Amino acid sequence: MSAVSEAATSSAMRTREATVRRFAFTDMVFRAATRASAILVLVLLGGVAISLIAGSWEALSKFGISFLSTESWNPVTENFGALAPIYGTIVTSAIAIIIAVPIGIGIAVFLTELCPRPLRRPIGIAVELLAGIPSIIYGIWGLFVFAPFLQTTIQPFIIWLFKGIPGLNSLFAGPPYGIGLLTSSLILAIMVLPFITSITKDVFDTVPAVLKESAYGIGCTTWEVTRRVTIPYTRVGIMGGVMLGLGRALGETMAVTFVIGNAHRISASLFAPGTTISATIANEFTEADGAIYTSSLVALGLILFIITFIILALARYMLLRIDSRTGA
Amino acid sequence: MKPMLSTDLNVSDTTVEKAKIEVKNLNFYYGQSKALKDINLSLPERSVTAFIGPSGCGKSTLLRVLNRIYELYPKQSAEGQVLLDGKNILDRSQDLNLLRTKIGMVFQKPTPFPMSIYENIAFGVRLYEKISKAEMDSRVESALKRAALWNEVKDKLNASGQSLSGGQQQRLCIARTVAVKPEVILLDEPASALDPLSTAKIEELIDELQADYTIVIVTHNMQQAARVSRQTAFMYLGELVEFDRTEKIFTSPREKRTQDYITGRFG
Amino acid sequence: MATAASLHQSRKRKNAVMMALCVIAAGIGLAWLALILGALLYKGLSGVSLAVFTQMTPPPGDAGGLLNAIYGSIVMTIIGIVVGTPIGVLAGTYMAEYGRFSKLTTVVRFINDILLSAPSIIVGLFVYELMVRPMGHFSAIAGAVALSILVIPVVVRTTEDMLNLVPNALREAGTAIGAPRWVVIRSVAYRAALSGIVTGILLAIARISGETAPLLFTALNNQFWSSNLNAPMASLPVTIFQFALSPYEEWQQLAWTGALIITLTVLGLSIIARSLTGRREDR
Repeated sequence: MSAVSEAATSSAMRTREATVRRFAFTDMVFRAATRASAILVLVLLGGVAISLIAGSWEALSKFGISFLSTESWNPVTENFGALAPIYGTIVTSAIAIIIAVPIGIGIAVFLTELCPRPLRRPIGIAVELLAGIPSIIYGIWGLFVFAPFLQTTIQPFIIWLFKGIPGLNSLFAGPPYGIGLLTSSLILAIMVLPFITSITKDVFDTVPAVLKESAYGIGCTTWEVTRRVTIPYTRVGIMGGVMLGLGRALGETMAVTFVIGNAHRISASLFAPGTTISATIANEFTEADGAIYTSSLVALGLILFIITFIILALARYMLLRIDSRTGA
Repeated sequence: MKPMLSTDLNVSDTTVEKAKIEVKNLNFYYGQSKALKDINLSLPERSVTAFIGPSGCGKSTLLRVLNRIYELYPKQSAEGQVLLDGKNILDRSQDLNLLRTKIGMVFQKPTPFPMSIYENIAFGVRLYEKISKAEMDSRVESALKRAALWNEVKDKLNASGQSLSGGQQQRLCIARTVAVKPEVILLDEPASALDPLSTAKIEELIDELQADYTIVIVTHNMQQAARVSRQTAFMYLGELVEFDRTEKIFTSPREKRTQDYITGRFG
Repeated sequence: MATAASLHQSRKRKNAVMMALCVIAAGIGLAWLALILGALLYKGLSGVSLAVFTQMTPPPGDAGGLLNAIYGSIVMTIIGIVVGTPIGVLAGTYMAEYGRFSKLTTVVRFINDILLSAPSIIVGLFVYELMVRPMGHFSAIAGAVALSILVIPVVVRTTEDMLNLVPNALREAGTAIGAPRWVVIRSVAYRAALSGIVTGILLAIARISGETAPLLFTALNNQFWSSNLNAPMASLPVTIFQFALSPYEEWQQLAWTGALIITLTVLGLSIIARSLTGRREDR
């Protein structure tokens, strides 16, 4: 240090100062680039909303609010209503959630409480891999394997079983097509199961061990600990997971498109073909001729966007509450 | 005690030495709460100063003001003056990166960068200096020698810095700091995460480094402060209670609170 | 005493029943995976031949391959990743580094999470309105843009999460040596979070390589070889969709084979991605 001469020091300081200026400039540029990218995420969502509103303007201004309550979907007379797809979307998603939630929670309990330790990770991974399988695979499997199976075995049996029971006999009225609302619901249930399972498992892991141990300490069984401690403690988080699964189910396109039957009507029977918002768009968008037809399909997209936005926002809000509690 | 202290005793007053850093009327805030209250002290050049005091007394905060590392976080602010060679580093015009090349810092937990041992040292040097491979090699070697680490790592310079033991990692961090040729080195409880043997090595190192650098060390180990430092500042609840030669602080402190703390009555 | 004992018995019975149901639930979950993969292997493998990778998609009733569809999928996936990844990494960097404490980050995180699970067909409609309609025709580049929009939220999320795992002490150490923020991010934070960020990119590739809905009315489909980015381009998922719903046996067989190819690709990518982060956790 002391050996460095005065002149050399001052020239070194000058290069340092030049370097410092260069650094400050690069930092400013990099910071601006990252900030712009973050803002782009907001712009994307805004862009989606704006483009959907613009694209559906023609249909919405022609049909008005009755677009939501009209069942008819007639490309020939150019009279369109969203009721049948909305009905199909809600019914299939609701049934899917009703089936998937208990199974998902069951698997989560199995993984956190019962599973032998060495198997825990592989099974957890397998469940998550199920979530990664593209929806078109579920679709093709549903169409060629699952639907024929339902058509030849399960559906005829159920129709026979409920033949004489009022209410149920119209809910499960034949003929057994294989494809239809219930088949779609089942496929959707399989698809959302991994989401619900992995989120439920994650929130189960946030339960403090000491809380469970004290419950076991007073002699509770595993089920009682789950029922009275784990589930109440994680209720909000589970609800978040369920909502997230619901969001997926509502917007799921390809799997449903294969097996729903694409019929624009509302039938009492769950075995009847129907349609959902996303299946209608996927099936008809490229073939839609006429501005009002295309615009009606975009309007369906806007409705789906609004529904899923609300559901997903609720889901995130609930999961955030769990996060802030655990300080994660 | 170090032998040199006995000669120091002949120096009647530490303030006659040239001050490297002067802190004047320094206040520090975390949001609304005041963490440092009107601190005034002057750190002499090329000697070791220790900050001691119970947890939360502000000693680490004061250290983190000296290189303005607190600016990484929002809602922390300092007012007053900190003069480095007479120039106020709290000034808005002060370039932070340049400041930090002059005032290096070593942290409580070893923080090797996720790169090789060689790169850990070359990284900081390369930022501000364009030097040849051969020069860099000798820079790395001398820095590692300075930190008493060379013999242990000379055959594995390309190994990851994170593969070293805790004590070695901490010496690597000291080497890294020394390599950029700072004027001041701040040490934030550098040995609190280490075993006694590694601690002894670090202390030995600090003793050697004060020949060339102004060193400030925060510690809550009072024996450590007594062993390594020439002057000691005792802080309590954000205030500087007493600042004097280490000898004096540990044998005949002026303040009752200092007396209580060093005799273990609280903290 | 008798009632206490019987209460204990009934509680134990109930526990046994509920736990048995949980095991059954897990069995069902794994059974589906096995059933789907089994059917895919069984139906898909029988159609695997060299022709699948060397010949174009055939007209109805003819034999052929999937070469143009595979090519199209690869091209659009690569463009989607190349466009989406830098934006995603930069946005994630802002959220974890420069803007860690800012309001903007909270908002972006919320919106990004919604984008992450938004229906992909909506993205298709958006790109249709954004590009296809103004340009007047379907194109591979529109398809790639739609895919990149799906890539962004995945990469943003993993980048932010992984950078948040980098200890602050490391950032302070980089800063304390005089490195400006961008050097600390580039040389220290990115390096420490590298495997996690790569995992995110792999997961993004896995996600978009099977996406169908956003391509349906952006890239459309093309029965012939086309490397023109400004024209419709075939892709594996859209071809599967078209062929599976057709009445022709040759097409249906090709659809199964294509489905097998996609699934193996996606599962392979997911497993590699997981093993990358898995190693990191073990260390």
